[in-house]
Amino acid sequence: MIPIEYFLALSGILFVIGALGVLTKRNAIVVLMSVELMLNAANINFVAFSSYYGNLNGAVFALIAIAIAAAEVAVGLAIIMNLYKTRDTISLDEINLLRW
Amino acid sequence: MTFAEYAWLIPIFPLIAFVVVGFLGNRLFKNWEGGAPIAIGMTAISLVLSLAVAFEALTTGTGTPFIQSLEWIVVQGGEFAFTFNMGIYIDNLTALMLIVVSFVATLVVIYSLGYMHEEGEKKRRYYAVISLFISVMLGLVLASNFLQMFIFWELVGLCSYLLIGFWNTRPSAASAAKKAFLVTRIGDIMFMIGLFVLFVGFQGNLDFAYIFDNVDAFVGGNELLTFGTLMLFGGAVGKSAQFPLHDWLPDAMEGPTTVSALIHAATMVKAGVYLVARSYPVMVETPDTMLVIAFIGGFTAIFAATMALNNTNIKRVLAYSTISQLGYMFLALGAGGYIFAQQPEFNVGYAAGTFHLMNHAFFKALLFLSAGAVIHAVHTEDMRLMGGLSKKLKITSLVMLIGCLSIAGIPPFSGFWSKDLVLEAAFAGIEYNSLFILLYAFGLITAFMTAFYMFRLWFLTFSGEPRDKHAYEHAHEAPAVMWVPLALLAILAFGSGFAFLFGFESTLVPGLMDFHPHEAGPIDLLTAVFTNVLTYASIAAAVLGIGLAYMMYKKRAIDPARFTSGSVGKTLSNVLLARYGFTKGYDWIGLKVVYGTAKVVDFIDRRLIDGLINGISAGLIRSGNFLRRAQTGFVQSYAAVIVVGVSLIVILLFLVGGVI
Repeated sequence: MIPIEYFLALSGILFVIGALGVLTKRNAIVVLMSVELMLNAANINFVAFSSYYGNLNGAVFALIAIAIAAAEVAVGLAIIMNLYKTRDTISLDEINLLRW
Repeated sequence: MTFAEYAWLIPIFPLIAFVVVGFLGNRLFKNWEGGAPIAIGMTAISLVLSLAVAFEALTTGTGTPFIQSLEWIVVQGGEFAFTFNMGIYIDNLTALMLIVVSFVATLVVIYSLGYMHEEGEKKRRYYAVISLFISVMLGLVLASNFLQMFIFWELVGLCSYLLIGFWNTRPSAASAAKKAFLVTRIGDIMFMIGLFVLFVGFQGNLDFAYIFDNVDAFVGGNELLTFGTLMLFGGAVGKSAQFPLHDWLPDAMEGPTTVSALIHAATMVKAGVYLVARSYPVMVETPDTMLVIAFIGGFTAIFAATMALNNTNIKRVLAYSTISQLGYMFLALGAGGYIFAQQPEFNVGYAAGTFHLMNHAFFKALLFLSAGAVIHAVHTEDMRLMGGLSKKLKITSLVMLIGCLSIAGIPPFSGFWSKDLVLEAAFAGIEYNSLFILLYAFGLITAFMTAFYMFRLWFLTFSGEPRDKHAYEHAHEAPAVMWVPLALLAILAFGSGFAFLFGFESTLVPGLMDFHPHEAGPIDLLTAVFTNVLTYASIAAAVLGIGLAYMMYKKRAIDPARFTSGSVGKTLSNVLLARYGFTKGYDWIGLKVVYGTAKVVDFIDRRLIDGLINGISAGLIRSGNFLRRAQTGFVQSYAAVIVVGVSLIVILLFLVGGVI
């Protein structure tokens, strides 16, 4: 049995990598991928605690999160596609319509 | 009481005329003289009803007024509770005013049919407003409490504004209307202050019936009551054009002559006298106020009479004479009240004031309407362009002569009886206060001046050679619709004074406990008048005045120019023509004081108050501008803020919250 700390450490590392990716990358697709990394870090936590406590709730929750994430990625990619069509770029530096 | 039950209908009929004539179109009244028949009909119905009510009130004469009232506003709240009523209050004074107002008003409206014939579409406005004017004046007379009276008082002011400015395309008429409104407004404000005092003092009850029966219940002492009555009189000063608020009345001559006749004889200026006479039971509690009333009245009488001496505008002379005669009324009322306060028993002051009010209404209406007939004939108001008109205007000259004799106080014309009573009242005051010596002298000199300027007017207009041939050629006698009212008024101007012999004194008494009417037969009264040396003094003054006018303007034995040729005479005459500088003075006050104050207030409003508000809004806009820079539009910087924020919260939870 692998101790739960290992899972938590993996999940923490993954989350930080994802967060850094979101903050630093300019490419919208890479940012989207980083968001997925953060999401999966959370999923690992759910599953790890589920097995640790012998309760299936966490595992079920992780499955639902994966399903939702798939849908969300589809929406995100569609937005990026449209962005590229209208502005010829997917660099986040140049997408600042929401500024003052 | 049977007719009195329907007295509330009296102001309603002219009001109906106002609504019908005022709000239905021009086309409907095109062939109807602008709605004149409706106005005449409704006013005549009021007249009939007024006469019935007045006759009933005067003959049944139980001494208790007839009162009907409805609750209008009820305010609940423990000790602050009060009720305002709307109602009618009929006693002998009301009856007298009803007769005077409705009678003169009806004749004026009939006369207008001829006088205003050529006004075209504007006639409809004229008849509508004049109906409203009559309606609100009748309402004022019938009011059963001070607040209701004040409402009608203001409406009377509004109507006078509309009518004085009838020829609203003439700048002089427009400004005269504004002046009349604003100057009387000063009085209205004082009236309002007086009402506040009474309202507080009588704990929220402004009904005449309550106040007159419970004058002792006034809370706040005699000083406060004196202040209150003084302020009430201030209202009367404004409305009745007494010194120092007299200046609007001569300017009010800019309106049609019929309007002047109505304002001077029946409505508007009589409201002030009526107010003082009506509040007599309260006023006599404050002898100081009565003294002020008598003094203002006496002073105004002589003051206004001097200005009439050399004016050449026929209507202005009459306007000054109105101010002067109103002064007489106040003198009599003030003197009577003052004497009563010293010695509570019968005296003639009250009867003299109201009697002169009635007689003045008839002869002044007659004089104004005759002047209107003259103006109608020669199309000018300047007496220098008239002269010799008695050959052309036979009826007018005759009735005007009756009016002049009456106002001059020649027995047995009506003005004689009441003027004599006024002077008697002033003379009776000498026993109690030596100031009345002065006031009696004022009255006597005024009687002389009145006779002089009225006959100067008559001689200049009707006798001698025509000075303007062209106007003379075109002059023609007024149509029947104009001279018949004149003839009726002439009969009254001659005969209304005989009411004195038939118990006017004992009928018209204020509702005072100790004021026992003074019953006497006609013969006794007649002997009393003609054995009194004062009577001969006033007759002598009048005859002297007429004689001087005859010498100067008929015989030309004394050249009028002699009085204006010297430097003193010239200055004096210019001062009189400039109305003692009051017009200039008021203009100066208006321009410098009022406009200056307005400028300061404007500065405060625009710079300080608006500045504060604008400053707050500008500050908010600026800080908003500054804060919105935080919105960079970069998703990643938002994300960074979120991450940092969440991290900080977590760290804080660890450190402070003690999660672990």
